[in-house]
Amino acid sequence: MEEPPLREEEEEEGDEAGPEGALGKSPFQLTAEDVYDISYVMGRELMALGSDPRVTQLQFKIVRVLEMLETLVNEGSLTVEELRMERDNLRKEVEGLRREGSAAGREVNLGPDKMVVDLTDPNRPRFTLQELRDVLQERNKLKSQLLVVQEELQCYKSGLIPAREGPGGRREKGALVTRASNASSNKEEKTIIRKLFSFRSGKQT
Amino acid sequence: MAKKTYDLLFKLLLIGDSGVGKTCVLFRFSDDAFNTTFISTIGIDFKIKTVELQGKKIKLQIWDTAGQERFHTITTSYYRGAMGIMLVYDITNGKSFENISKWLRNIDEHANEDVERMLLGNKCDMDDKRVVPKGKGEQIAREHGIRFFETSAKANINIEKAFLTLAEDILRKTPVKEPNSENVDISSGGGVTGWKSKCC
Repeated sequence: MEEPPLREEEEEEGDEAGPEGALGKSPFQLTAEDVYDISYVMGRELMALGSDPRVTQLQFKIVRVLEMLETLVNEGSLTVEELRMERDNLRKEVEGLRREGSAAGREVNLGPDKMVVDLTDPNRPRFTLQELRDVLQERNKLKSQLLVVQEELQCYKSGLIPAREGPGGRREKGALVTRASNASSNKEEKTIIRKLFSFRSGKQT
Repeated sequence: MAKKTYDLLFKLLLIGDSGVGKTCVLFRFSDDAFNTTFISTIGIDFKIKTVELQGKKIKLQIWDTAGQERFHTITTSYYRGAMGIMLVYDITNGKSFENISKWLRNIDEHANEDVERMLLGNKCDMDDKRVVPKGKGEQIAREHGIRFFETSAKANINIEKAFLTLAEDILRKTPVKEPNSENVDISSGGGVTGWKSKCC
């Protein structure tokens, strides 16, 4: 983007200075046009030297050198153009990466099995599997206890357990809670159950 | 508990890929209802349903597992106490069928050796979207020597039949005991160890 205006300026300068101006230029800013200008100037001066065979000999070599210079200048300007495009692309790439980088933070340094947690996200993961396991276990335990209590309530409501046995039944329930650690209450329970439900099992079998 | 409201307690387990309809199958069986909204099960849940088979009141405690991979460490710890496992796939989801072998391997690794298994191809009401032919389900079931049903929780097809058949199969293996000698405990349902009760 900076080069074309520069070149134009140089060309203008060159025009002002005539073909000889090309000889005063920096070799890194030389264009094919400049080489042609130089050829013109040298050709003119060689002609002025007359038709000495040595001049002719020299002329062939000078033409050859100028052709080489032309090739190098063309090649150079092409390379400059390529490098300039390459630089612009890389600049854009860096720009993009910088933008991503500021969003993702230090993610780049994480291993393949790592995850970034957004601490401002109210829905971010924050409990461990063990905690979930415990909560689920407690939920399911309470749920099954609720079912037991509901069934028991149903028994009272339907009059299966006479009201006068209520207190006894309640005491029995208290024992049931600790049943796992109290084997003796098991037997007691069974007999009460048998008493209360004997007519039921009789009906079933 | 004053609970001789049942003679036997069977513990069943539902497994299979996420979204195949395990919870819906269970909900249809336990509450005879169906809900179209998909709510992913968190970890593990259960429902209770008492059925009567051969003159015996059998309480079924049916554990419903989350199909999502992230819950697997939780759900696999519930395989051990199961007496029957229902492996569910979705006939409109080829991947869920392909994964059957993976689920069967899970059963082999984590469940009791004598667990009663059953394969269910759910959503059979959606025949227009079917990608798994019934024959393929029957074939894989035959290869593994397990029962197979195509079910629909939505249209209530084969749901009760599947559960009752599984319960019957377990009942057949259950040694006959004096009914009231059973002391089953459902209050410890949350823990695997709670199931070492003498229910089988």
